[in-house]
Amino acid sequence: MTKHMKDLGGATRRDVLVGSAVAGTGLVVGYSVLPHVTGGAREALAAGNFEPSLFLTMEPSGIATVHITKTEMGQHVGTALAQAVAEELEIDWNDVRVDYPDSHEKWGLMITGGSWSVNWTFDRNSRIGAAARMALVEAGANMLGVPANECSAANSTVTHTSTGQSATYSEIISAGPIDRTFSEDEMKAIELKKFGEYKLVGTSVPALDIPAKINGTARYGIDVFVPNMVYGRIVTWPTRWGAMPKSVDDSAASGIDGYIKTEIIEDPTGVQRGYAIVLAESIWAAEKAADAVSVDWDLGPNASVSTADILGYAKKATADGEGFAWVIDGDTDAGMSNAATVVEAEYETSIGYHGMMEPMNCVAMEQDGVWHLFTACQWSTRCTAMTAEALGVEPANVVHHQQYAGTGFGRRLEPDAMIPAALAAKAAGRPVKLVYTREQDVMFDFHQSLTYQTVKGGINVAGDLDTMVHTVCSAWATKRQAPGFLAESVDKKGKIDPFSTNGSDHWYNVPNQYVRSIENLVGQSATPPGQLRAVAPTWTMWAVESFLDEAAHAVGRDPLEFRTSLLKAVGKNVGTPPNTVGGAERLRNALLVAAGRAGYGVKPLPANTAQGIASVTSQERGSPTWTACVAEVHVDPESGEPTVNKLTVAMDVGTAVNPDGVLAQIQGSAIYGTSRVLYENITMKDGSIEQSNFDTWTPMRINQAPEIDVNIIQNGHYPAGTGEPVVTVVGPAIANAIQAAVGARVRSWPITAEKIKAAMQEA
Amino acid sequence: MAVLNINGVSHVVDAPGDTKLLWVVREHLRLTGTKFGCGIGLCGACTVHLNGEAVRSCQLQLSDAEGATITTIEGLDPKGQHPVQKAWLELQIPQCGYCQSGQMMNAAAFLESNSSPSDAEILDAMQGNICRCSTYARIKQGVRRAAQMMQEA
Repeated sequence: MTKHMKDLGGATRRDVLVGSAVAGTGLVVGYSVLPHVTGGAREALAAGNFEPSLFLTMEPSGIATVHITKTEMGQHVGTALAQAVAEELEIDWNDVRVDYPDSHEKWGLMITGGSWSVNWTFDRNSRIGAAARMALVEAGANMLGVPANECSAANSTVTHTSTGQSATYSEIISAGPIDRTFSEDEMKAIELKKFGEYKLVGTSVPALDIPAKINGTARYGIDVFVPNMVYGRIVTWPTRWGAMPKSVDDSAASGIDGYIKTEIIEDPTGVQRGYAIVLAESIWAAEKAADAVSVDWDLGPNASVSTADILGYAKKATADGEGFAWVIDGDTDAGMSNAATVVEAEYETSIGYHGMMEPMNCVAMEQDGVWHLFTACQWSTRCTAMTAEALGVEPANVVHHQQYAGTGFGRRLEPDAMIPAALAAKAAGRPVKLVYTREQDVMFDFHQSLTYQTVKGGINVAGDLDTMVHTVCSAWATKRQAPGFLAESVDKKGKIDPFSTNGSDHWYNVPNQYVRSIENLVGQSATPPGQLRAVAPTWTMWAVESFLDEAAHAVGRDPLEFRTSLLKAVGKNVGTPPNTVGGAERLRNALLVAAGRAGYGVKPLPANTAQGIASVTSQERGSPTWTACVAEVHVDPESGEPTVNKLTVAMDVGTAVNPDGVLAQIQGSAIYGTSRVLYENITMKDGSIEQSNFDTWTPMRINQAPEIDVNIIQNGHYPAGTGEPVVTVVGPAIANAIQAAVGARVRSWPITAEKIKAAMQEA
Repeated sequence: MAVLNINGVSHVVDAPGDTKLLWVVREHLRLTGTKFGCGIGLCGACTVHLNGEAVRSCQLQLSDAEGATITTIEGLDPKGQHPVQKAWLELQIPQCGYCQSGQMMNAAAFLESNSSPSDAEILDAMQGNICRCSTYARIKQGVRRAAQMMQEA
């Protein structure tokens, strides 16, 4: 798939045009097609040297539409991105709309994930808004016959400061034409507002996507209908990956009213080897027919793989020294030989299921040689390219039409519903709507990999952790999704997956550190790995933060004090603007806020109840969101049953563009993470996933949810991503609390009463 | 042919009598506010009202629903201003929103039977509806707020 992955950096840096081709038609703001336009914006527009409506379109009525090339999957991303534009545009927020355009090369890389959306675009969107405002002020001043530098803009109106004469944006755009080009240097030189000067950024304006979500009108991928469509249903494969239908006997389905046929289709992309797809006139007929047909399968290479095989491979590969280095700092050999105390532990995380409420789906339709895909997708660039490959057409002839996502969590980075929908539509000669059953969504997820880690620490005579050796073994999602994103190892011996290793390069001052990243080849084939909300720090932070507590206990130090003593903004942990300015001190501060708010070490607690602490810098070392959590957990001494009473979270987000949106993300991710470590488990037997629906895969429900106290720290630094970090911090905080409560250390997921009970008996 | 009374309108449906009510509502009549989540009655995304009671439409057949009064999220209030909807907007409860039709339908039926619920009663009533964005803290507040609005009305 790499051959389709050019332009990974997004649109190249070119001139920004603010203009209207013809008076009264409105205003568009976007990049020029060619670098350095010679004429004005108008001339470029007239010549077609313009990618229309790349960022922002304004109508003569004064309504501005901000075009959002990110997936709306519950994070209200459109609202936050539009707030950044509107702040500098000085537009009345009531005049702002958002839309979600179809996929096209002109948008550059279309991907939503990694808590990147606000973090990557805040500066750019602010400058786009400012450029449009400057063009409007200049045009407005011209209309009023006054110098532009004597005018200001606010509430969708340009005002001449001394005389009070004014023109609304609507009047200015209607009078048009506007013709303004900003060179790259000019864009860079625009002076933006600073923290403390914002009017709209930092306010909790209501999310623009919510009204449609309370009256049933919001349209998700599963809600799409096109004329003349039929329903497709995949016949469930007998193994997660590698099975191929050899033949189909559909005699038992032939009497079902509306049944059309069952097609066997090969998949040249390898997302699956192939499909048996039932086609029918109604979804109910497709459902019944898929149950009725009998398929003879070639089971493929994974038919005997179990969870134990995946874990067994991980342990062997780790012991055999497989993998390559991700961090080499100082001298770990010397550190270990000088250590007064050595602490060693192994940590595991189970296979994870995304569990989106809206199962995977797609409507595929061909029209005049162009393929149209209707669904919610987090990575249009990749998924349209792979569907094109499956169909044998040019990527430019596959268009993705974005829909609201019934959440994503990284699952919708994958094209696995698009490809069979498109192949089935090709075979049927009619549009196809394909919807996964819940069972298929559970079993044919691109799961979060099972992981196995070892951590060995050396603590010196002063009681300080100065040496860490850490191995991380998992299947590598990046190798499947975009091998071009694999990174050269620091010892230059091979490639490793940074998105499977991130987080192990933590912000604690441990002068001698070595991290080795190992691919789990058995897991890679049997459980094709995907990215799941918060990605690698889900497991790396689990190991690091569990281990820090174990190390602190080994030398009789308090886990909070042990951590803060390692968090000084020195050496490689000093930090640099914009994302990591302040460095390790910001993590220390978040820890102290969480501890203080929770009454850590002070609050009186009943027997078998304790607080545990953890802090994380998810998701990448270069784009950390400084986050800490105190979990208060009670353990029933008889059964071992854990109850999470309360989670106190502190997060340094720099600047919260929409504080209520940030709060919602933290509340949700705290429960998502707690559910993951306590309730969610996926296992494999005979190459197949053993769980299939909400009866066997049992996420947290409202009556099980803990109280959450959220503390958002704003200090005016650049906005950090907020949708993911808390997922990674709650697990180790809960495990650390369990140890503090009853002396039991659980090192694998899910954390169950049985494991706690067993660990209590060992302790 | 079957006739269904949904949101005060009679719909003639040409589908086999064993078709799941969920598919009739969503795929035949295209009232897509009602969502498919699990198909086994364990997530609540498909909740509608059948004669005023919250039911899982994936667990009912077309033939079960003939003659009944059915309400979906689209018909909960003619203007989308049911107290539950107003509370959901005021407290900005939906994230992805996919499960929220079912959450609101469940909450609305519950509040008809218990206009002044305790927190424990709210949690018990709502535990059949899964939200993977985990908006649970706000759903609890939302049911409380809607109850308050209904009492003030």
